[in-house]
Amino acid sequence: MASRKTKDKTVIRALGLGGLLGGSSEGLVDVKDGKIVRVRPFHYDWKYKKEDIKTWKMERNGKVFEQPWKSLPGPFSLAYKKRVYSPNRIKFPMKRVDWDPDGERNPQNRGKSKYVRITWDEATDILAKEIKRIHKAYGPYGILVQGDGHGECMTIHTPHGHSGSLLDKMGGFTQQVRNPDSWEGWYWGSKHVWGQGIQGGMFPAGNIVKDTTEHAEMVLFWGCDPETTPWGFTGQMPSRLTYFWKDAGIDQVYICPDVNYGCAVHADKWIPVLPNTDAALQLAIAYTWIKEGTYNKEYVKTHVVGFDKFKAYVMGEEEDDVPKTPEWASKKCGVPEWTIKALARQFARKVTSIAHYFGGGYVRGPFSHEPGRLEVCLLGMQGLGGPGRHHHQITYFGLPRSNGLSGTFFWNPDLADRLRTPSLTTINAWQKQLIPKTYIHDAIEANEPMTFYGSGAIEVDTTDQFKKYVYPLPKKEGGTEIHMIWSDTPCRTTCWNNGNATELALRNPKIECIVTQHPWMENDTLFSDIILPSNTHMEVGDIVSSIRGGTSIPNVALCDQAIEPVGESKSNFEVVLEVAKKLGMEKAMTGGKTDEDLKKEMFTNMRLDKLTTWKEFREKGYYLYSVADDWEDDSPGLRKFYDDPEKNPLPTPTGKLEFYSEALAKNFPHDRERPPVPKWIEKGPTHDERLSSERAKMFPLILMSNHGRWRVHAQADDIPWTREAPTCKIRGWDGYMYEPCWIHPSEALERGIKHGDIVKVFNERGIVLAGAYVTERIRPNVAYMDHGARVDMIKVGEIDRGGAINTISGSGTSSRNAVGQATTAYLVQVERLSMEEMDRWRREYPEAFEREYDPASGLCVNAWLEGGEK
Amino acid sequence: MTKKVFVIDIKKCNGCHACQIVCKDEHVGNDWSPIAKPQPDAGQFWMELTERVRGTVPKVKVAYRPHMCMHCDNAPCIEACPVEGAIYKREDGLVIIDSVKCSGCRNCLDVCPYDAIFYNDDLNLAQKCTGCAHLLDDGWVEPRCADACPTGALKFMDEDEAKKLISKAEVWKPELKKQVKPRVYYLNLPGRFIAGTVYDPKAKEVIIGADCALTDAATGKTYNIKTDNYGDFWFEGLGKGEYSLQIVAGKKKETFKKLDTTLEDINLGDIAL
Repeated sequence: MASRKTKDKTVIRALGLGGLLGGSSEGLVDVKDGKIVRVRPFHYDWKYKKEDIKTWKMERNGKVFEQPWKSLPGPFSLAYKKRVYSPNRIKFPMKRVDWDPDGERNPQNRGKSKYVRITWDEATDILAKEIKRIHKAYGPYGILVQGDGHGECMTIHTPHGHSGSLLDKMGGFTQQVRNPDSWEGWYWGSKHVWGQGIQGGMFPAGNIVKDTTEHAEMVLFWGCDPETTPWGFTGQMPSRLTYFWKDAGIDQVYICPDVNYGCAVHADKWIPVLPNTDAALQLAIAYTWIKEGTYNKEYVKTHVVGFDKFKAYVMGEEEDDVPKTPEWASKKCGVPEWTIKALARQFARKVTSIAHYFGGGYVRGPFSHEPGRLEVCLLGMQGLGGPGRHHHQITYFGLPRSNGLSGTFFWNPDLADRLRTPSLTTINAWQKQLIPKTYIHDAIEANEPMTFYGSGAIEVDTTDQFKKYVYPLPKKEGGTEIHMIWSDTPCRTTCWNNGNATELALRNPKIECIVTQHPWMENDTLFSDIILPSNTHMEVGDIVSSIRGGTSIPNVALCDQAIEPVGESKSNFEVVLEVAKKLGMEKAMTGGKTDEDLKKEMFTNMRLDKLTTWKEFREKGYYLYSVADDWEDDSPGLRKFYDDPEKNPLPTPTGKLEFYSEALAKNFPHDRERPPVPKWIEKGPTHDERLSSERAKMFPLILMSNHGRWRVHAQADDIPWTREAPTCKIRGWDGYMYEPCWIHPSEALERGIKHGDIVKVFNERGIVLAGAYVTERIRPNVAYMDHGARVDMIKVGEIDRGGAINTISGSGTSSRNAVGQATTAYLVQVERLSMEEMDRWRREYPEAFEREYDPASGLCVNAWLEGGEK
Repeated sequence: MTKKVFVIDIKKCNGCHACQIVCKDEHVGNDWSPIAKPQPDAGQFWMELTERVRGTVPKVKVAYRPHMCMHCDNAPCIEACPVEGAIYKREDGLVIIDSVKCSGCRNCLDVCPYDAIFYNDDLNLAQKCTGCAHLLDDGWVEPRCADACPTGALKFMDEDEAKKLISKAEVWKPELKKQVKPRVYYLNLPGRFIAGTVYDPKAKEVIIGADCALTDAATGKTYNIKTDNYGDFWFEGLGKGEYSLQIVAGKKKETFKKLDTTLEDINLGDIAL
């Protein structure tokens, strides 16, 4: 058979969607006739011989785990060409049709009125003028930059923060501070037990995969889904690891309200706990251990402070407290008493690690710091740091160390300014006037200054949580309310707390101009006044390090341009550069350096010049790291602390695991939501979202939300091929593709709901439409939805058809003094939507139903263009 | 040319859909005729990942299975095709519908026992999995689905090399095996399960080590296991049929009769003993 041409060229891409100057989930992109023809896993031996790279392996019970010689991207990464050519792509600059910078601005029509095409020249003229006007009228802090979060993996053209780089050079800006959105409980909780950690997680965490492999007898996947969350960041290495652990005889227990995708295929035991009641279960485990004397008393004596206070609370020795018995816990968490005891004994009997991959359902509900802290206490009671006893972000940390790897993690201080600065908005609170991302809507609407403790920036020291901030700053410090928003991360409505309140806040007349740069017409973009088309990583060349843990073989690659930009789009850096030109800031932005200069600079910053030559790197297009010769000697996790806590103290005030935090006691003596000893919080001033609440009479189900299986937060909701998966979308009787809402058959029966029905999920904060997914994969009392579906407002701030469940999540943060988000575990009701109600909405909000819509991929940019695409 | 087979280990399938997605990536919008013309953007699954939720809370598992053209050696579609050479078997064993010669008569759709052939209304063509023959002819060693499988569950192998695996494998619809001779083999297809948890209602403790004896009504064969540290028993890999179960712990005893696994797996829930 004659062969035919199946491609013209092949380029490398990091197909993960974590962004932040780092890649992973790499792939090869074949291009033919100027179009992407296919996206496939990266076979690392493309230009290297296998024998030239030193790799690692691990063994247990005769089973061997090795580095795969190909990358393991998730399905949306492999389908990425559909995103590039999506009917939702913004192809040219646009202006809201009834927003006139020299006249009426009509903020009340944001999210409703359509757009007209304008030229780049017009768009940048308007923007430059607006920036100067705001600076003059209010000062530089009058502009809020939303330039943080996840996105495509690039370094020079990294998706977020370039607007911050520009405005920083012009006197600063008000910074939206990205909160630890996927690990709130560890950030606001665990840090007070084991110290700073990395973003609150256990640290050091090096080499724990090997140690758990060799010593653990059981791993608890506690609210963890290794078959979902890792996909967006590093791909499917955790899947291979968990299959291997199973072969090697390590028990895998899933504690979660749902049969998540890991539980579906890996679980030896599923313990369906009610959402956000893990603290009760944890306390009952501690109770059982204390009562039966099955915890590591020696370790506790030498490694823990405050155990007596913790024990007194657990055993109910305090005046108003009950013992936290399995019987007590069972009523809170919905797990039978006998199963709680059985779990507690297994945990005590077997060498046990706990695994997470950041998270959703477990770690970001109301009071998430309590399960975050209690989990560390449980590990501490069994000798945390000892052989096989660790806290995993599974494969993200703890894989073997590479030889000569110096890192381009965003905190790498060696990076050139232009490479490093954009990502500062994501990791640091580096401006003077700050608003935590969780407070944006409140800050816009507030008429009085707001105060809060802790900026919530993901890399700041624990002590920042005790620092009092105020927004706006006093006038003499340049403080002003914000009057303009420049966003390159327009997903606040669907990915953060109380999206409906956010939609309404974006209409506040105080906000005179909203500019968004984004490749797709979605979410907050629909509330913009000016829209600038940024492009995807397929359309621009870059250099990307794929060294996040979980990459099969760590590497750095030159990602040459795959295709020409779609329409008039430009990279996120180039977009800002166009504006900078109009402000006379071009040179300041580029530093006079070309992309090629920066690639070389990055090469040097990575110390790749010590490992290879630029010439060879250019020729091959990538560099593969060998594993370090002595990696097996690396001390795993907290082993040094375990061995000698005096010589190797933790970064807590006492150097020990603090089951009682003096710092919390001192700084927040009256905080009953985050007391010095971690506790079960039934309700508090911030949240009243449990089944015991009066509100549960009206809203009797707990809404649980995790990171999406088929998306990375808000990314990749428009891929027709993933949308065909039965758990991705459900076709309603009206032909619309609804976001699934999982509900147990018993709850469905009670409500007359059948699989595939259109249902409304609602509470006081609004209504979200969904497709009923009636399944035994969720326990009773719960409704489950992935967060991050694109908003499709029937009525702005009230009714959403797209399935953006966070539109009705609570406004409150993790707790009173913790500005994290609480976007899971809140009360809702689910009802079958009647045709009459839908018809009524059709009559009342006809424009929402007349918008162009493509069931295969969902929303279309044409829907928002006056007269359609020209 | 060596003959090829697909060997799919269900135990290693994590349900990620990468096989289904990359099949579309390869064929939607790309023209590889005469091996294949473009696949419609939506609605066709030359490679389809099927899923089935088994059991009830809290004994639930999910069974995934990639379904595709079985590239039968006695392919009914070849026989039913009225156009000479429009459906043919390659030397490597792959069955191809020639996208140029196909007349669009639909005969093959009617006779395929695996429902693996689709009709493209826009092109008036019968279409299905090609094993990515156009890529194999261009030097690829495996089709896209096998390349993208992250766990090695889905493999495209030389028949000789796969012999040992094939001896342990099953085909889909085994009753057709002799007749159509499929070239896709499945390992570890799940049977039914009967499971439950045994506890002492007075002590509020699970009962560990209770004797559970499951008898197959048809054969009279009995399987014996003991409850584990969670008080759980799982009889897995069962056939479809009627079973009876006796649970004994000390002097306590419980019997379940007429447990019918024909339609579904059975979770007996938390059993007070």
